[in-house]
Amino acid sequence: MRNNLYWQLIAVFAPLSLISLGGGQSIIADMNKQVVEFHGWMSQADFVDLFGISRAAPGPGSLLVTLIGWKVAGFPGAVVASLALFLPAGLLAYFVARIWNRHQGRAWHRACERGLAPIATGLLVTSAFVILSSTSGEVSLWIIAFAAAAIFVLRPGLNPLLVLGSAGVVQMLVQIALR
Amino acid sequence: MTDRRETIGQAPGVPQVSLAQIMLLFARIGLTSFGGGLSAWIYREVVDRYRWMGEDEFLGGLTMAQILPGPNVINLSIYIGQRLRGGIGSLVAVGALLLPPMVLVVILLGIFHRFGDLPWVHDLLEGIAAGAIGLTFSVGVRSARRAAARHYWPLLMILAIFVMIGLMRWPMLPVVLCLIPVGLWAAWRER
Repeated sequence: MRNNLYWQLIAVFAPLSLISLGGGQSIIADMNKQVVEFHGWMSQADFVDLFGISRAAPGPGSLLVTLIGWKVAGFPGAVVASLALFLPAGLLAYFVARIWNRHQGRAWHRACERGLAPIATGLLVTSAFVILSSTSGEVSLWIIAFAAAAIFVLRPGLNPLLVLGSAGVVQMLVQIALR
Repeated sequence: MTDRRETIGQAPGVPQVSLAQIMLLFARIGLTSFGGGLSAWIYREVVDRYRWMGEDEFLGGLTMAQILPGPNVINLSIYIGQRLRGGIGSLVAVGALLLPPMVLVVILLGIFHRFGDLPWVHDLLEGIAAGAIGLTFSVGVRSARRAAARHYWPLLMILAIFVMIGLMRWPMLPVVLCLIPVGLWAAWRER
């Protein structure tokens, strides 16, 4: 029965690893469906809790998978679920990176990097905008985000933790003042 | 997995970086990147601060990390580790990025129920996340500014992505796959 659970975790997360194109957000929506609706491992409220913790903690948001594994089957569950999600896509990325990096320094390779770079830049700017518009939509969050961006542009050497901490405190105080 | 440095190390522009340096850097990012936006953190450290790779090398890798399946940050760490120290470099980068916050997140699970429902905790976290969005945005703005100083086409591409994915909400993958040949063509002509 217990073994069965590990295989189920692998069966959920290993395919997700390879079909979730476009990164974190799409993975989380898929996980939610699988874990709550399909397998019934936890309630939607539990899932939202775990999602909240993975967002609150430092590190990649995809560590949500570790929490799901832990909730479903304890420590081994956390390990199995994490490996199932990270390993298949990770191996693929490794082989692509290896082939790609083998040609570094060549003229055509540099031109490729130069051609791909604006796409990453565009996606960074866009993801910031998309995530911001999907939050609670409070004006204070938009102001904080743009103020933080301005500070980071003007003073790139500043420790980000200082800015992030201040951003958190400001939002907290603003909300207390408004309540 | 053998260290590929002997074979790829001859290529110009790969600095001498030890595995311990990679481990320390990625562990630090994994443990301090509150509010998300890890790609921006990694950019700050790897490109701005330590200059382990140039901006185009980093952003080219980030584009690939975003196209390939799986979490972007993990793909990006694998790419950076591979470039600096081969297979073992990838393993060290990803391991250092994931393992410490993995332990932390499980510990947080234990105390979350006591504090998670407090409204001020929620506000604090939302503010931190907004600050992290600002960090991501600033990295985008700074590299857009540098790209614009070189030529006008990168700025057009950045704008096109923002309009199509950000405003029109078209799916990311087809948009990016269509723009890749455009970018390659423009970069090749500029050469």
